[in-house]
Amino acid sequence: MRHKFLTLSTLTLFLSSLSACHGILDDIYDDPSNDVTLKEGQLYVDASSWTEWYYIDLLDTNKEWVSMSIPTEELPTLKSQPSTLSPQPGIYTYWYDVFGAGLSNHEFQSFTPTAEQPEPEKWHIAVHRNNVRTNGGAAYETSYTSMSELPESSEAFADATFTPDTWNELDVWTIREQMLQGFVGNQGIRVNPVLSSWLKLEIPPVPPAFTLNNHVFIVRFDDDTYAAIQLENYQNAAGVKCCLTINYKYPY
Amino acid sequence: MTATDYNGKSEKVRNLFHQPEALQFLILSFFHLFIFSHFAHAQQQDSTFLLNDVVITGTRTPKLLKDAPIQTRVITTADIEKVDATNVEDLLQQEMPGVEFSYAMNQLKHMNLCGFGGQGILFLVDGERLAGETMDDVDFTRLNMANVERIEIVKGAASALYGSNAGGGVINIITKEGTEPWTLNLNGRLARYNERRLGGAYGVNGKRLHNMLNVNHTSIDNIHVSNAENPATQVVTTIYGDCTWNVKDRLTFTVNDQLKLIGRAGYFYREQTRVADAPERFRDFSAGLKGLWDISKDDNLEISYSFDQYDKSDYHKINKLDVRDYRNVQNIFKGLYNHYWSSNGILTVGADFMHDYLMNKNLGSKTESQNTFDAFAQYDWIINTQWEVVGAVRYDYFSDKKDSHFTPKLSVRYQPISNLNIRFGYGMGFRAPALKEKYYNFDAAGIWIIRGNPDLKAELSHNFNASADYTKGHYNFTLAAYYNEVHNKLATGVPHYLPNDDKQLYLDYTNLAGYSVYGGEAAIQARWDNGFSAKLSYAYTNERLPKDKEGHTINNQYIPARHHSLTARVDWDKQFTRNYGLRLSLNGRFLSDVKNVEFIDYYDISKGTSTIHYPAYTLWKFSAVQQFGKAFKVTAAIDNLLNYKPQYHYFNSPLTDGINLMVGVSVDIEKIK
Repeated sequence: MRHKFLTLSTLTLFLSSLSACHGILDDIYDDPSNDVTLKEGQLYVDASSWTEWYYIDLLDTNKEWVSMSIPTEELPTLKSQPSTLSPQPGIYTYWYDVFGAGLSNHEFQSFTPTAEQPEPEKWHIAVHRNNVRTNGGAAYETSYTSMSELPESSEAFADATFTPDTWNELDVWTIREQMLQGFVGNQGIRVNPVLSSWLKLEIPPVPPAFTLNNHVFIVRFDDDTYAAIQLENYQNAAGVKCCLTINYKYPY
Repeated sequence: MTATDYNGKSEKVRNLFHQPEALQFLILSFFHLFIFSHFAHAQQQDSTFLLNDVVITGTRTPKLLKDAPIQTRVITTADIEKVDATNVEDLLQQEMPGVEFSYAMNQLKHMNLCGFGGQGILFLVDGERLAGETMDDVDFTRLNMANVERIEIVKGAASALYGSNAGGGVINIITKEGTEPWTLNLNGRLARYNERRLGGAYGVNGKRLHNMLNVNHTSIDNIHVSNAENPATQVVTTIYGDCTWNVKDRLTFTVNDQLKLIGRAGYFYREQTRVADAPERFRDFSAGLKGLWDISKDDNLEISYSFDQYDKSDYHKINKLDVRDYRNVQNIFKGLYNHYWSSNGILTVGADFMHDYLMNKNLGSKTESQNTFDAFAQYDWIINTQWEVVGAVRYDYFSDKKDSHFTPKLSVRYQPISNLNIRFGYGMGFRAPALKEKYYNFDAAGIWIIRGNPDLKAELSHNFNASADYTKGHYNFTLAAYYNEVHNKLATGVPHYLPNDDKQLYLDYTNLAGYSVYGGEAAIQARWDNGFSAKLSYAYTNERLPKDKEGHTINNQYIPARHHSLTARVDWDKQFTRNYGLRLSLNGRFLSDVKNVEFIDYYDISKGTSTIHYPAYTLWKFSAVQQFGKAFKVTAAIDNLLNYKPQYHYFNSPLTDGINLMVGVSVDIEKIK
């Protein structure tokens, strides 16, 4: 009986492979769909580009997002060290100790002045990979991990301390042609450090590790309106990182 | 003196004389043992050197090791046990000088054997090719050492018998066939970093049917290692661990005295977490059927079909999707016929057909396939008791680009006196460009785009070799030398920009200009009646590195072979009582430093190249195996005995951060009384 079973098993596998010029057992793998299915109160933006900011208008989430390229062309202005010019728009090239201590050990290399980052007329937040900016807003990280658990209105956060966008020349990685040697050209621009913490990038390890922070964030805009937003997922079905599925409630 | 030179030299000195008393003690002990054991009482036992064992790889016909016309190195089950090897990498780097495993991109393993990389050395399991590659090499973790009867290593071009990829040699892993009515072995080993190795082998042997089932599992955590400041080139900060499962079953049906059928099936799985949210998975499915027919006492025929499928996928944890991005499927039909002409000649003829299918998301067209066909003939002429000549020719045809190759080989064995064999020969080797090398289009993280080249020619090599081995009493001596001249070496060339695009770098596969490697090996083995045995092997390898067709020095794709390497082993085996035995083994290896020419700036090659120095190192392992009764074995081992910690974990540094303790148990259930 045992022999028959083994014989049968081996022969079955053998015969199934005979007709398998292109392989067997395709079904154990998933075929990622390019279609994005969103629930009510969700939006999706492919922010995987290194060179684009994507601008989100929370009042009109059905349209295609406006994207605007990060200026990299050098302006004919006098170059100087960042400590004497900060903050000035441009590309700040840093060396990162990628294969040693990691991103915390870095060293300024050069500065290329560029034009200001262009912006559309109407937007609430802008995303570039794991970086987030607000349109004159400020953000607060709640301890809630579900939009449905949030208090009825934003008044519950009236006493919270909101953090505005701050100058950053280390995180908006734009020019990666010399990454192999640890050199990255970053855009100098104001980003929101609290909101950007929804997707943390760490080196080491190599390749970098992405960590999703699933807390709900409250954003207060300069017209005194509020939004509640939460990063649901940072990958698309094919596994491409920085393709963001965002839960939102606006106005909140 | 540059910083590179200084760092390299200081580490070299530090490595060699790290804990100098301990190292000197070990080396002195080794030679001490060698000299004094010479006087031990003994009987001449050629059989202790396996000279009467049968080998098959050199000629594809069974030959006694002492009569094999092609020099063949055999690693036995006992050797595997003494090294306590988990997979072929563990084993080869300890048992053979001139072998080095280093990292390629993404910490994929790359092997260098006497100057030939993974694509130039053909790995076989029971004579069958393996599908799939991980940066040019087979997945070595597939080749675990459980249930291995022996490994036969034939260096030098063997394309006249094995076709493409055998330019540097053939490594044939031959698995066990049980003879007992039933056997059940369970074994396990634990070590640092949560390293686990668990295995089971169940064999049943009836009158006509025999089945052997093997299940093996290994796992080890990621290891974070530190490096000193200012490394000369890229270093590793995390040694990525993995988890593997390997299941193999082989069923043998003896139809009658003349006909035997062998069916097999296998499954392999490996998971490695380099990226926390997307672990990489590697799977292999294999199956085969082989018929062995002894037509008459002078004729036999072997017909076989083999299927091997190697897949790679990424598991996207957040989306819970297992997305396949690579598949290589090989369907191979083979026929081999031998005719024995009385006692002075063997004619071997054979033919193979292979359908090779490749799916890779980085291929321009996602999938490519081709058919290959070959036919070969070999005549093994035993002229007299002293002379034997083997000649072989082979024709290979590849449907992609309608490429074809003719490869000859000639080998001579001369035995002037008993137990002295002198062998010399010439062999042509070739490596047809892989489908990947022809059609790749891979954006390597924005650094450069690696491009295939459909017009690649096959890499062609000429191998000249000579060897002598002599056995006398307790001692066996081997000397070997070789020279390989390689034309049209397949590799990536010089990074470049396109004429109208100075932003994007490209790295194209190309045929390089002449390349050569020469070297030799010297080995001495001794086995005495007092339970001691010892082996010392030295290899010299010299690669004359390639240039491009314009004569420019190029950045070598892989770090070249080290000039000097040495392996050593001393064992002491004693059965104290009927129920208790002890075996002590000390294994060591030494690899000299090596220099490599690398671009100073990959993005601006006009800055030229610099010579990177990679330091020498030595590693030693001590193990004690206690045998309780016939059924139980307990192994305790100390790996990296001298607690060597690389100052920089370069791609060719040993994968260690210091001393490691290992404890293992093995139980043969059927022997428990």
